[in-house]
Amino acid sequence: MVIITLQRDKCIGCNYCAELDPEHFRMSKKDGKSNLLHSVDKKGFHTVRVPHDFVFEQVEIAANACPVRIIKVSKI
Amino acid sequence: MQAEFFVMLDTNRYIELMAPAGNFESLQAAIDNGADSVYFGVEQLNMRAVSSINFVLEDIPEIVARCAPKGIRTYITLNTIVYDHDMNMVKNIVGEAKKHGITAIIAADHAVIAYARSIGMEVHISTQVNVTNVETVKFYALFADTVVLSRELSLNQIKKITDAIEKEQIKGPSGKLVEIEIFGHGALCMAVSGKCYLSLHTHNSSANRGACRQNCRKKYTVTDEDGIQLEIDNEYIMSPQDLCTIDFLDKVLDAGVSVLKIEGRGRAADYVATTIKCYREAIDAYKEDTYSKEKVENWMERLATVYNRGFWSGYYLGQELGEWTKDHPGSHATRKKLFVGTGEHYFTKAGIAQFKLEAFDIKIGDKMLITGPTTGVKEFDIDKLMVNDIFADQAVKGDQVTIPLDFKIRKSDKLYKLVEA
Repeated sequence: MVIITLQRDKCIGCNYCAELDPEHFRMSKKDGKSNLLHSVDKKGFHTVRVPHDFVFEQVEIAANACPVRIIKVSKI
Repeated sequence: MQAEFFVMLDTNRYIELMAPAGNFESLQAAIDNGADSVYFGVEQLNMRAVSSINFVLEDIPEIVARCAPKGIRTYITLNTIVYDHDMNMVKNIVGEAKKHGITAIIAADHAVIAYARSIGMEVHISTQVNVTNVETVKFYALFADTVVLSRELSLNQIKKITDAIEKEQIKGPSGKLVEIEIFGHGALCMAVSGKCYLSLHTHNSSANRGACRQNCRKKYTVTDEDGIQLEIDNEYIMSPQDLCTIDFLDKVLDAGVSVLKIEGRGRAADYVATTIKCYREAIDAYKEDTYSKEKVENWMERLATVYNRGFWSGYYLGQELGEWTKDHPGSHATRKKLFVGTGEHYFTKAGIAQFKLEAFDIKIGDKMLITGPTTGVKEFDIDKLMVNDIFADQAVKGDQVTIPLDFKIRKSDKLYKLVEA
C-alpha cells in the first residue's frame, strides 16, 4: 500500500505535481492550490491510501519535484 | 534648435514612502514609524510566497482597519506569473481587496491587470514588468496610475521618464498624471529584477512564483573540467549588496520620483521600523531643505544596525557593476537581537510590564527590543528591574521580571536584547 500526504496550505500552486502525476494531483480551480484526489483532510494534512504499490514511483517523482516539499509518499 | 524641456520640481510635492509588511508586526512597525503606504502579499500569488508568512484573505479587513483611519494607503502585491488555475484565486483576492477598501493591486500579469480594472480596482504596475521607457509607461497608463520602474535604470533615465510624463501629460485611469515609483532601499536581485531561473533549475522552485531559493546568496567555488578549483577572491560572486539611496536621496527625489518603496517583506519588523524611520526623516528633510551630510551619516549608522548585506547605490548613479556581498553571507548588521523572553502581562495603572525570561540574562542598562503583532516594534533601555517582585540589577533565564514601561505589552510580544554583532 502507498500512503500519500499533501500539506496543502503551504502549496504555492506551481502545477508540478499535477503535471507529473495527474492521477493523484489536480490543480484546484477554487484556490489555485493542488488537490490530492480522494484524500482526507486531517488538520491540514491531506492523506490518501492507495492499494497499488506500482503508483509509488510516479508519486515520488511528483514529491521530488515539489518546490516547497509538501508531498510525502511511503510504501507500507 | 529645439529648446530642451525642463521641468521645475516642486520639492514640496507629495512624496510617498512605501513600507514592506510581511506580517502584522512589520505592518504595525511601518504604521508607527511614518510610512505613507504599505504593501503586502495575500495568499500564494506574490513574489514572497515562500520567504514570508503571507497574510490570508481573512486578514484584509484588519489591515485596512489599522491603516485607513491614519490615511495610510494599502497595496496588495499580486505579481507572480499566473496560470489558468490561479484565476479564481486572483478574482477572490482582487474582489476582497475592492470590497474592503484596499487602495490598489500591484500587478504584473495582464490577466490580473485586466480583471482588476474590470471591477474598477486601482492598479500599479509591478517592477516585475521591468518598465524601462516612457512608451511603455504610456501603454500601461491605460490601466495603471502608478508604475514601478525597472531597478536597473539610472537616475538620468528615470528623470527623462518623469519629465516626459509631465510634458506629454500622461495620465492614468484616475485622470491624474502617472506616478513613478522606484525602490529606495533593500535587497537587489542578481538577475533583471526577479526574472531569474537559477532557483527553478536547481530546486524546481520558481522565483517567478515567489519561491526563490536564493542561489545567488550562496558561496561558490569554480572548478574547471579537469577538477582544478579556481581561486576567486570574493566567493559571493552572484550576491549583490543591498540597495541604499539615503546618501543621495536628494538626487533620487530630484529625478521626479513620487513613490519610494522599501524592499523587505521577508525581513524582521525591527528592519521595517528602523528603515522607515530613517527614510521618513530623510524625505521630510528634503522637503524642508534641511537634508545634510551630518544627517546622512546618522541615518547610515542607524540603517547599518538592522539586516543588510552591505550597501551600494544600485544602478541609479550609472553602471556600477560588481558590488557583491563581502566576507560572509547574510546580514552585515552592526547589532543583533538575542531572544530573551515573552510578554506575560501589563499592569496599566502602574505602567509595569511583566516578562518571562526564557534565554540569556538581562541587566540594568541593557538595550532591549520588543516586537509583536499589535505592539509593532519598540525599543527601550532597562532603568529599573524587578525579579520576582524584588528590585535587582540583573535577571537570569527562568526569572519572572517586571520592568516599568510607558507602553502596553502583550502575551504575543517577544523580548530581545540588542547586542553588538
